[in-house]
Amino acid sequence: MPGPNPIPSFGKVLVVGGCGFLGAHIVSLILKRHPQSQVAVLDLRTTSNRHASPSVSYHDGDITDASAMQALFTQIKPDVVFHTASPHFDAPSKIHDKVNVEGTDILIKAAQDSGVKAFVYTSSASLVIDASMTVVNADETWPLITGAAQPEYYTTTKAFAETAVLAANRTPSSFLTCAIRPSGIFGEGDVQLLPPMLSACRKGQNKFQVGANTNLSDFTYVENVVYGHLLAAQALLQTHAMLPTIPLDSERVDGEPFFITNGQPVYFWDFARAVWHAAGDRKTLRDIWVLDRDFAMAVGTILENACWLLGKKPNINRKQVRYSTMDRYYNIDKARKRLGYAPLVSLDEGIKRGVEALLEKERREGEKKAQ
Amino acid sequence: MPSIGTIAFYATHPAQLRSIIQWKVWHNPVHEIDESKQTESLQRCFHFLRLTSRSFVAVILELHPELLVPVSLFYLALRGLDTIEDDMTIPLQKKEPLLRDFHNILEKDGWNFTENGPNEKDRQLLVEFHVFVEEYKKIKPAYRAIIKDITERMGNGMADYANNAEHNLAGVNTIKDYELYCHYVAGLVGEGLTRLFVEAGLANPALLKRADLHESMGQLLQQVNIIRDVREDFDDKRRFYPKEVWSKHVDNFEDMFKPENKEKALAVNAEMTLIALSRADDCLYYLAGLREQSVFNFCAIPQSMAMATLEVCFQNYDVFQKNVKISKGDACQLMTESTQNLQLVCEVFKRYARKIHKKNNPNDPSFLKISIACGKIEQFIESIFPSQKPPVDAKKNPASAQEVERLKKEANEAKWDTIYLISAVVLTIVVITGTMLLTAWMAGARFDIAFAQMKVQLGQLLGTDDAKAVSPKVSPGGHSEL
Repeated sequence: MPGPNPIPSFGKVLVVGGCGFLGAHIVSLILKRHPQSQVAVLDLRTTSNRHASPSVSYHDGDITDASAMQALFTQIKPDVVFHTASPHFDAPSKIHDKVNVEGTDILIKAAQDSGVKAFVYTSSASLVIDASMTVVNADETWPLITGAAQPEYYTTTKAFAETAVLAANRTPSSFLTCAIRPSGIFGEGDVQLLPPMLSACRKGQNKFQVGANTNLSDFTYVENVVYGHLLAAQALLQTHAMLPTIPLDSERVDGEPFFITNGQPVYFWDFARAVWHAAGDRKTLRDIWVLDRDFAMAVGTILENACWLLGKKPNINRKQVRYSTMDRYYNIDKARKRLGYAPLVSLDEGIKRGVEALLEKERREGEKKAQ
Repeated sequence: MPSIGTIAFYATHPAQLRSIIQWKVWHNPVHEIDESKQTESLQRCFHFLRLTSRSFVAVILELHPELLVPVSLFYLALRGLDTIEDDMTIPLQKKEPLLRDFHNILEKDGWNFTENGPNEKDRQLLVEFHVFVEEYKKIKPAYRAIIKDITERMGNGMADYANNAEHNLAGVNTIKDYELYCHYVAGLVGEGLTRLFVEAGLANPALLKRADLHESMGQLLQQVNIIRDVREDFDDKRRFYPKEVWSKHVDNFEDMFKPENKEKALAVNAEMTLIALSRADDCLYYLAGLREQSVFNFCAIPQSMAMATLEVCFQNYDVFQKNVKISKGDACQLMTESTQNLQLVCEVFKRYARKIHKKNNPNDPSFLKISIACGKIEQFIESIFPSQKPPVDAKKNPASAQEVERLKKEANEAKWDTIYLISAVVLTIVVITGTMLLTAWMAGARFDIAFAQMKVQLGQLLGTDDAKAVSPKVSPGGHSEL
């Protein structure tokens, strides 16, 4: 395994959103890499994605409830907090405000009051994407796009939360924070990337390609994202151990954001085709129709409006067209240098695992229905 | 006189012809030498250079005067070594000591070798090798030491391979072996040339510390040659594709050449392409370390050609049937583009990476890895020549929900400030106008007349008839003495 050797224990760890897609994977990898840690999971409902290990405890709770959070933090007294909770991308603005902004503030306050050493926030790589919808090899020096310049309200609230987390670093001086910005997470249990791609394939939409397919995209296998989180926590704990000494600016992890990707940007449609291939599709390049981007945008506009009138969901919309034709990739040198990060699992292996898990899940559900 | 086929080709591909004409007309050598003024033995060396190297001679002869002769001799030394190694008519017990001792032969006055088979194409070079020795002894000792060292290591490497019966029978086994073979025949050349460039002060000395970079320079060239020449090598009973690669798809090496195994052969071709392609970004990095135009051209032209050759061979089953080449027009365009600057060479690499990507077969086992390798080249180019700068005006975006509130409040305040200001102005104007009118009325001004006249004038302006009817009525009756 590349990177620094894992320390055997993080002490007491609280994973906020630990029953979600990313959170559940964080719990598993902590148990694997830092087996002597005590893990507590906080989630709105802790029924799904539960880990069987006895060293994991589950706590139902709402992060927007300040007094409940204070009580929970006093009870658990975590050393390390991973804050992965976030509403679905398509949720209404009010929910984003409530969970991402207020919820994060409440968690920061509770963590500061209960003596947490390391606080790792799951941010998003979209924070630097503006209305031009193009990001070419961006690094952490790029400014955050928020407010009127930010096309997605979800992203604005993620940026506010990240800024708050990083601003709280070293207040008090023993409270260390950092933020991980993953791009395009996929893997076992993912609901936002692989499932829609697979259903597009089943509808036969994989015979179309929008744009010239020269746009590079960063997709990140979930375990690599998790690995980035764990390396960040370990680095924060090591910084904590040498308090009050502050590391050199060029080596600092506390108070810093990090892009985490697979470090393997690929052409968007190549990723999609690799996913489809893994799911059994055998289309060749000759079977594919290339649609001009502007044409697809026009079709998207018409369909969106027509479907809005009919109250249906369009098969193609402008957001998808933009997403599939935009350059969106990052430079992860900072994470490589300061965290010792290198992806554990390659893109093709990740796709294989993710698609297999998805097909397996469908098989199980199919069997259940049949019974 | 060109053949009818050639004429037809260029008539239908004018862009190709254009590239050739452009290269012939506009390319000026960075440095030129007058060969007639050189010694007889050096002239003979240049003759051999022309004879033995079709692809490198042009770039070598344009090199900086400091390096022209050392690089030419370096090339001839290795060519001499190669001529012994290649010749299957020389028995092993004779060949091996020659290969291992060739670095000493370089300095042996009057040495030559006449035992090459009659069909060995470069045998004359060894027959007259004394001209080489004569010139070799004249170059700077520092250059000589470098040439000698590389010749020794390469000679020993070749002797090891010649001794290795398994290699000769079964070809290369693993990818690691394959890269080791390429190291001996090409990676070492990269090292030697780099040391010569740095010694002459024409390249960044940091290149010496990055052995991986000059290794990749040699590997890319050699691997592309091996990929392209697979048919020719096979006919000559040589196999350089590693078994580790082809055995995944076919049981026997020769099966790749059977048309019914086309798909499988192309899968082998794709993986071989992938291995070579993963060296491309290193090569661009290396080129960034060169300080002199002629040295840059010397290194960049073969690399661009290799990328183009890799592209033309990729997913092309002809490679297993015949000799595949890039067109002359493309070659001229590549030479023009590779003799300017790094940015243009990066464009060439990007162009060919995208062409490879476009031919990439989604059902091939190497599909995603090739896509990643192309992406890596593009990302590397972006890291040295960024096409997008971070947005600067975004720095004043709000950083928190409180700031959004504050900005909203500020905007609201600003809006009301504007409203107050405009109201104050309007009020002031109303008060002043009112005061003036009142004063005028007090002083006896007849606004009724002024109003009537204004109506008349307005009517005249608009040209209506009733205005005429009104005007005489008003003027006599309305006047009064003031």
